[in-house]
Amino acid sequence: MDTQVSVILGAFVASGLTLFIFSFLYKDNPFFKIAEHLYMGVGLAWHIQLTIYKIIIPKVWEPLKIAWQKGDTFTVWMTIIPTVLGITLVTQFIPKISWISRYGFTFLMGYAAGLALPAGLTTDFANQILGTIEPFANFFSLSLGKMVNAVIILIGTVSVLFYFFFSVEHKGVVKKISNFGIYFLMIYFGASFGNTVMARFSLLYGRFDLLVRYSQKEYFYATNWVIVGLLIYFIAEKLITNKLLKARA
Amino acid sequence: MKEKLNKILKLDRRYLFVLLTLSIIIPIIKPIGIPSKSISTSVKDTYDFIEKMPEGSTIILSLDYDPSTAPELHPMAAAILKHTFKKNIKVIILTFIAGSGGLIDELVRTIPPQYSKEYGKDYVVLPYMANVLAALTQMASDIHSFYDKDINNKPLKDYEMMKNIKNYKDVAGVIGITGTALLDYWVVYVGDKYGVPILGGVTAISQVGYGPYLQKKQLKGLIGGMKGAAEYEKLISQPWKGTSGIDALNIAHILVIVFIIFSNIVLLILKFL
Repeated sequence: MDTQVSVILGAFVASGLTLFIFSFLYKDNPFFKIAEHLYMGVGLAWHIQLTIYKIIIPKVWEPLKIAWQKGDTFTVWMTIIPTVLGITLVTQFIPKISWISRYGFTFLMGYAAGLALPAGLTTDFANQILGTIEPFANFFSLSLGKMVNAVIILIGTVSVLFYFFFSVEHKGVVKKISNFGIYFLMIYFGASFGNTVMARFSLLYGRFDLLVRYSQKEYFYATNWVIVGLLIYFIAEKLITNKLLKARA
Repeated sequence: MKEKLNKILKLDRRYLFVLLTLSIIIPIIKPIGIPSKSISTSVKDTYDFIEKMPEGSTIILSLDYDPSTAPELHPMAAAILKHTFKKNIKVIILTFIAGSGGLIDELVRTIPPQYSKEYGKDYVVLPYMANVLAALTQMASDIHSFYDKDINNKPLKDYEMMKNIKNYKDVAGVIGITGTALLDYWVVYVGDKYGVPILGGVTAISQVGYGPYLQKKQLKGLIGGMKGAAEYEKLISQPWKGTSGIDALNIAHILVIVFIIFSNIVLLILKFL
């Protein structure tokens, strides 16, 4: 296909699908349904081709073929065993033989736990405790800002831990400390939500930036044509619906 | 009065969608150029880390994002790549997200020629790998045993810049730009385990969660969201999509703040009426 034609066609598809999805904000309509179903279908097809061409062929088929040709029995078995274990997971879909999947899951769990536990404990547990205590080792040599920071982090950590400590009844001093922890949690959630809003607006900006780009002459005003098409549809739909309602009345 | 205020609170939300659309589209069509003067410490740390890196060093740039988070992450990936090339730092680009292929292709098609950088000598692109944990742990012993070929299906050992790279000991750091939890993996399985400096670029949503890693210096620097990208573009004096997006973000944020304050005032008035 001519490059220019394919670029324009691509612009129509991209801006069209974006606007079809956005049209749901006005009301549900067939264009939104088309885009939604296309997304599901294309997404599924993408994952299937990905599994075949990026995993099964390069990680199973090709190593197996090369090892077989070379007569390398060790590599052949080292490819077959994990592949068979992987296939056992699929037996989950057949109730009668679903027990076979346990073998695959056993290996997955053992591998994941063995890898994650020591590393996670060091990074997320021991190092974080150290990070909270460390500044107090040389507290008075810190700058005023870092001193305040260290104290806030310590108070925040302890009070939030108190909030999630359920072995003691939350009353008296414990209740006061755990209530204080709620303020830290609220600040965290607030900051997190604010950042979420910012991230969503950034994504919206990305789509609008693309729509504005595709509304230019070199893309044959793709966005404009799609907007006009959608407007015609919604106006026609409104007129027809009103006419039908009047006729029924 | 009470009826009128109640009517305002029940306003069709589609009017708000229109206002929000205008607040983002107008700055794209006609940029206002709202100044962004502040630079976050974590962004400055990332910049300083690359700035202090000796010429000829090699870094791993893990670009793990797809079009769904590209508006935030693509500008920061571009800015990092420009900065590293400007400082004559060699880059190994890799990904664990299959959908990033087109975005990486766009970066390597447009940025290296601007700095006269040559494929294989100044940068290489490795193919997508499905099993991230296996890749991260195997690369600690031998990168070539896991990635024997590059994205063009050519042996990795044939490239000049890869001849002296065996494992993490030969790289000066890793920068993970991601919209997933992959940066955590780099910190846990590579940074803490092998002492490799890890830096990151993440979406604004996940930025807050990386505070503990930054505080403990398990992350040497972090670029967060489009604001972070704009800050980095400012530091390297190369404004691009991050900078232009800040106008739209600022106005949209002001609009939301106005909505929140206005509706709260209306609610307060209604309470006392």
